[in-house]
Amino acid sequence: MFRQTTTRTLSIAAALAGLALYAVLGGFYSREIVVEIVILAILAISLDFAAGFGGMISLCHGAIFGLAAYTFAVMTAMWDQPGALAALAAIVVASLFGLAVGAVTSKTTGIFFIMATLAFGQMAYTLVFKSRWLGGDDGMAGLPRFDLAWLGIDMGSSLTFALFAILLIAASYIAAAWVLRSAFGRTLAGIHANESRMKALGVNTVIHRARAMGFSSLLAGVAGIVAAQHTQYISPELLFWTVSGEVLIVVILGGIGTLIGPMVGAVAFVLLKHQASNYTDYWHMVIGLILIAVVVAGGRGLYGQAEHWLGRGARKAEGLRRA
Amino acid sequence: MLEVRQLCKSFGGLKVTREVSFALETGERRVILGPNGAGKTTLFNLLVGELAPTSGEILIDGHSVGGLSVSQRARLGLSRSYQRNNLFEDLTIRENLLLAVSAGQAKTAWMVRDSFRDKEVRETVSDVAEQVALTEVMDSPVRTVSYGNRRQLEVGLALATKPSILLMDEPTSGVGPGMIDGFRRLLQSLPRDLTVVIIEHDLDLAFDVADRITVLNFGEVVFEGTPEETRGNKVVRDIYLGDWQSDA
Repeated sequence: MFRQTTTRTLSIAAALAGLALYAVLGGFYSREIVVEIVILAILAISLDFAAGFGGMISLCHGAIFGLAAYTFAVMTAMWDQPGALAALAAIVVASLFGLAVGAVTSKTTGIFFIMATLAFGQMAYTLVFKSRWLGGDDGMAGLPRFDLAWLGIDMGSSLTFALFAILLIAASYIAAAWVLRSAFGRTLAGIHANESRMKALGVNTVIHRARAMGFSSLLAGVAGIVAAQHTQYISPELLFWTVSGEVLIVVILGGIGTLIGPMVGAVAFVLLKHQASNYTDYWHMVIGLILIAVVVAGGRGLYGQAEHWLGRGARKAEGLRRA
Repeated sequence: MLEVRQLCKSFGGLKVTREVSFALETGERRVILGPNGAGKTTLFNLLVGELAPTSGEILIDGHSVGGLSVSQRARLGLSRSYQRNNLFEDLTIRENLLLAVSAGQAKTAWMVRDSFRDKEVRETVSDVAEQVALTEVMDSPVRTVSYGNRRQLEVGLALATKPSILLMDEPTSGVGPGMIDGFRRLLQSLPRDLTVVIIEHDLDLAFDVADRITVLNFGEVVFEGTPEETRGNKVVRDIYLGDWQSDA
């Protein structure tokens, strides 16, 4: 069951402020990093919703993310539609794809669910890769960013875009946290904890799992829209299954089932990647070693572990105070 | 209310339920007796849909429920408690009841409103908590409370959906005499229009609460009658009450 504790609210506020500060004080390069973090973080929050709270470890979130980016690209660059409409279409396509995957796979669990989502994701990847009208393996370039000139905002500026992206991560987190504390979120947690009992209580677990995939995909769609506007270029690589794998690593690294952990994981992942790659080409190995340490330590993740230690300290202090 | 016709279940060559038939009136209290392995829990699993019968029919209010899933049957008012606790271990007792009551009131799909803050849900949770005597431990995680409390919660979850038919699988297994008395009082306090089927090993309790008793042996109904008739029946004494009688 998801709990938005004061510690978590403070942590998220600190993380967002830190990112904003880094974007404001840093140069172009640091703003690029901030957007990279944001995209990964939204995607990780999306996957944590499905995997951490619904027990659905999906390997097609990369594909959903990519489909949203492609929808945005087709709507804007190809069909000259306004950015807002393109974004809406991207989110709808992502949600519907997620809902469909969820509906088809909702009776499978564990390794079979993982394999089924992998298959769906790779199908979407192949489809995009083979589609000449989508640019095939060349992808699509020249994508526009949201046009907010009427508000006097220039989205072409790297700082503005970075701050806009940070706003979206806050919105995504709030949306996910809100839904997790709704009747639907409670039900999802119940299904994750004890599916057979929920069925015996009269809950249609199939529909709820499908909806959870749909909502999770909506968030992945938001990440896809940011990604398409960030570099203003997309390629089928966005849909490849290794993207999903990387997101899963980020979720576990930060703390699965905490919602804020995945954000912390995204910050750690991107910063480590850029720092470690200054010294070695084998930066994946550095991440791998940390991931192993995190899993061996109990799988709580960086944030989950910190929360665990904090909680233990608080319980000890409480014990001392009572004694 | 609840009727079973010629119900059979086989696992390979093993027939665990053989031609079981019975019919329950609304509000009836039926106790199912039988030695270990008689197929009592299997019968429950068939009734709620966790197992599919090899042949035979199950009817609720005259309608066959054979094609319905576990959750569909639950929404028709069929509820069960389990012989082995089947709870939400990492959640608190309150959260366990909140989940069950929300499900019972079909408040599971809202994506904006929180069922846990819903007034009607919270009121029902307090009522059920009082019914199964758990008000003192509401905010304790299930894994930290006593076995007795878990047994109470097991029954509480089944009651929380406000069923019209309640199936209880050995609700007093493994608990002391004090709790058996508490359970007897709980049964007496249940609404008279609630149909209850109980698998029970405590014979004093069984004879005390039952309107009628069905005895299973090797998957077959070998006897059905009132508690008085059951006490006097020779077949029943031989297969099930023999030891109990000689002990007494």
